[in-house]
Amino acid sequence: MVRFFSYLPALVPAAIVVAIVIELLKASNLTAFPGFFGSNWDYTASPPQWGIGVFVVGSFLTALPAIILAILIGLGIGIASTTYLPKLATRFLDPFVDLLAGIPSVVYGIWGFVVVGPYLGLTLNPWVAQHLGFLPGFSGARILQTGQGLPLAVILLTLMALPITTLLIRDALHSVPKDLWESGLALGATRWEVMRRVAIPYSHRGILSAGFLGFGRAFGETVAVAMVIGSVASFPTSVFDTTDTMSAIIFQNSDAALVTPGLLEALAEIALLLLAISLIVNILGRRLISSLLTEQISGL
Amino acid sequence: MSSPAPAADGTVLSVQHLSVVAKEKKILSDVSLEFPPRSLTAVVGPSGCGKTTFVRTLNRMSELTPGIRVEGSVLYLGQDIYGRGVNPVLVRRRIGMVFQRPTVFPMSIFENAAFGLRIVHEAEDAVDSAVTEALQRSGLWDEVKDDLDRSALSLSGGQQQRLCIARALAVRPKVLLLDEPTSALDPAATQRVEATMERLSEEIVMVLVTHNVGQAARVSDRVAFLHSGHLVEVGPTDDILERPKDPLTQQFITGRFG
Repeated sequence: MVRFFSYLPALVPAAIVVAIVIELLKASNLTAFPGFFGSNWDYTASPPQWGIGVFVVGSFLTALPAIILAILIGLGIGIASTTYLPKLATRFLDPFVDLLAGIPSVVYGIWGFVVVGPYLGLTLNPWVAQHLGFLPGFSGARILQTGQGLPLAVILLTLMALPITTLLIRDALHSVPKDLWESGLALGATRWEVMRRVAIPYSHRGILSAGFLGFGRAFGETVAVAMVIGSVASFPTSVFDTTDTMSAIIFQNSDAALVTPGLLEALAEIALLLLAISLIVNILGRRLISSLLTEQISGL
Repeated sequence: MSSPAPAADGTVLSVQHLSVVAKEKKILSDVSLEFPPRSLTAVVGPSGCGKTTFVRTLNRMSELTPGIRVEGSVLYLGQDIYGRGVNPVLVRRRIGMVFQRPTVFPMSIFENAAFGLRIVHEAEDAVDSAVTEALQRSGLWDEVKDDLDRSALSLSGGQQQRLCIARALAVRPKVLLLDEPTSALDPAATQRVEATMERLSEEIVMVLVTHNVGQAARVSDRVAFLHSGHLVEVGPTDDILERPKDPLTQQFITGRFG
């Protein structure tokens, strides 16, 4: 009997996932919206338009550049902290990465809206548009003075994906055996050559898993993005343009969903799609990590 | 590092009054030792006698350990590798090293052997021939020649260690340091690595650290016995192992401590 009850807490996480999926399915009423994956979203029109394509594209357009930037910065930090920085500096600087993870996303949002946004809108974006105007996507762009749009959202998401990405990359690089390092150096390679040719290839799966988990973080992020993305249900026409994401559209319309026929169902279906993509990405990331651990334990 | 003419007596590597201090503790005290061309010197001694530290000072790997101070000099072809302005990276390209456990890199067999050549941007056909030659010299060629593109991690432990020897040989060093290279291998694999070492000792200078007197007897032509950081005696293998002058050596080779 005791044993039976002791199973219950262990079932909680699985039960939550199942309950969320079931409730979302119920809320969606399994409604088949015409043109759901199309680009036309306007629930005030008659008949209402339920195309969520813009939001799917918007989510990827913000999360993908963010995770690429986060991996590059995370690699830079990981390489510096495992190889070049003196131990003392590492011990002092490393905790700041963890600290970043503790900043609530609404704080990033307000900082982005009040500080970074105006700088982008008034200074950086116009400068970039002027100097890279010859490139497609940079010329003739509409630039909001508030700075709202893709670049601001990407900057905030990069910062938010950075802690988990950096942590995992740093761990991956730290797990490269000392022997392997020394063998590279004993062959007359510089530290950078060993890093590039041995340590990074050795830890490539850890780096990849950092990418997946960081992407999951950026993809699902809501509040900060909703504050800075501009909330316009149309495809961006330039790199500076406003658009909207899956998570942000749910957040912004949850009140309206109570009084708008069909909206609740549509948002529930967007949420299911968001959940599915996030779960897949997370599972991929975690599987990479666990395969990595078994390999390390078995001594490769 | 430039390549001065070899010392007049043909000595490739010469250690003079070498002392190593780590955290106020003396690990090696005033060791002087010559390594003639085409020889295999076994450095033996009980655990903690400083033999691994000793061999790591010979290509400046020791300085990767923080807090280590090296005094005295190590002359490679007459030039002090601890001299002013000598780049340790260039020292290590001339004086190769093989470690206790096989340390193949996560890449193909070919690329492992080619590693040292790639970092000096050797031309492709030169890489090809150097890799082939190195794999032949290490005694691995016949086993791997048909699948050089296979991951090196798929090789057995003994094969991996011979690949590590090949990798060190590919840059054609005049000196090869081996730090207990068979301690992680089974007897059959050990035998093959020993055969490789014996063959190579007819070509280059080999310095083998081993705790195994039997191995020293099988492959070396000279034995240096270290005890508590002091070089107790050095001489031809037969002399040291059969007629040791020092009672400490006598005790060690008869297995009374170790």
